[in-house]
Amino acid sequence: MQISTKDQLSKKKITLSETDLIQALRQKDKIGAEALYDMYSSSLYGIIYRIVQHEEIAEDLLQEAFLKIWNSFNSFDPAKGRLFTWMANLVRNLSIDKIRSKDFRNNSKNQDIENTVNFIDEQRSTAINPDTLGVKDLVDKLKPDQKSILDLVYFRGYTHVEAAEELGIPLGTVKTRLRMAIITLRKFFN
Amino acid sequence: MEEITKYIESGILELYVMGDLTPAERAEVEEMSAKHPEIKSEIASIEVGLENYAKTYAVNPSDALRSKVLNQISPQNKTETVQETKVVEISQSGSSLFYKYAFAASLALLVMSIAALFVLNNKLQESNQQLAVLQSSNQQFSNRVNYMTEQLDKNKEALAILHNPEVKMVKLAGTKNAPKASMMVAFNPVKNEVMIDMKMMQMPENDDQHQYQLWALVDGKPVDLGVFDKQDNEDGMKKMKTISYAQAFAVTLEPKGGSVNPTMEQMMVMGAI
Repeated sequence: MQISTKDQLSKKKITLSETDLIQALRQKDKIGAEALYDMYSSSLYGIIYRIVQHEEIAEDLLQEAFLKIWNSFNSFDPAKGRLFTWMANLVRNLSIDKIRSKDFRNNSKNQDIENTVNFIDEQRSTAINPDTLGVKDLVDKLKPDQKSILDLVYFRGYTHVEAAEELGIPLGTVKTRLRMAIITLRKFFN
Repeated sequence: MEEITKYIESGILELYVMGDLTPAERAEVEEMSAKHPEIKSEIASIEVGLENYAKTYAVNPSDALRSKVLNQISPQNKTETVQETKVVEISQSGSSLFYKYAFAASLALLVMSIAALFVLNNKLQESNQQLAVLQSSNQQFSNRVNYMTEQLDKNKEALAILHNPEVKMVKLAGTKNAPKASMMVAFNPVKNEVMIDMKMMQMPENDDQHQYQLWALVDGKPVDLGVFDKQDNEDGMKKMKTISYAQAFAVTLEPKGGSVNPTMEQMMVMGAI
């Protein structure tokens, strides 16, 4: 059932090479917008959703993020890094601004922060991208202390300083664990 | 080389990719990356790793969102701006209405203030006039008091002289030059004082060129005791030069300032002690 839905969607989905995509976005070509959405919306939405923990707000933010990416695409410099890195930082900042805003804090009935990532993944496990290798394998590879710190910074929008405070460990340890976690990721995806 | 390895291992590149650096630190990383290809490729690997991690944990948004997002990106852009402008306009008209009322209110306040100022100014001028009248009458009154005090002092002085047992009152009677003239001289031989009573003086008024001169006759010789004028408003006792002993007093009319020797033809009054 899930696979058939994915097949239907994949017929419509547009994929471009990063160079072509950047070219199309610079020229404000509509196909660039479509490809951008099809290629990155779920990855970016995953980040937003984990930070704000609210479906409706997350979708509003994703919409806002795409508008921002589209309108301020000139400020993206390919020499400084990958397109996804730029967009991921953009949506992370947007989401953090949102959860720190007054109206969000007044409205949200936040679930407890500790288990959010796991909680979301349990709830939305069907949505996890089946193209990539099994999540379970990755979780097995990442040590728990590495994963918790990576998720705090990458998926929860903590700065490494805040993460150090949250976990009660020195800054140097935070940096080392982050680096080890990402090295594990690099090995795993190669 | 070792330095670069150290830099890579510091973990700063991971923070760079995750957007967790200050602008200054970011600029430093970008500078290092432009200089050293090892750093640049390390950053790229970190980026790919994290991108794959995000992909692994990707969550699909609802299907309806795709068209919503794509529609707002180009054509509906404009309508949104228009709506925004409208909101601004409404709030502006609201505030301009407020300024209209505020302007009207301040204008009314200004008119009232001017009226009040006018009334107060009139009252102030009235008060100032009353004050001036009061001050001038007060001045008159105090002048009068001063005058009366002066008079009282002179009278007291005269009375003290008259009541003093040491003082001898000498009446000078008119000569043939002025048969109706007369005056009183008070002589205190103890204090050597000679005074003339200006009030009781009955003498013709002297002109500008002449003055009366008082003489004491001591063993038949005249001694100068000073000059005086006869004026209507003169009052009190006038002190003359001192002398310890005299048999008689006389007054002659002399040129202004007095003479060394009396002009005997011009003797007006005379009296012996």
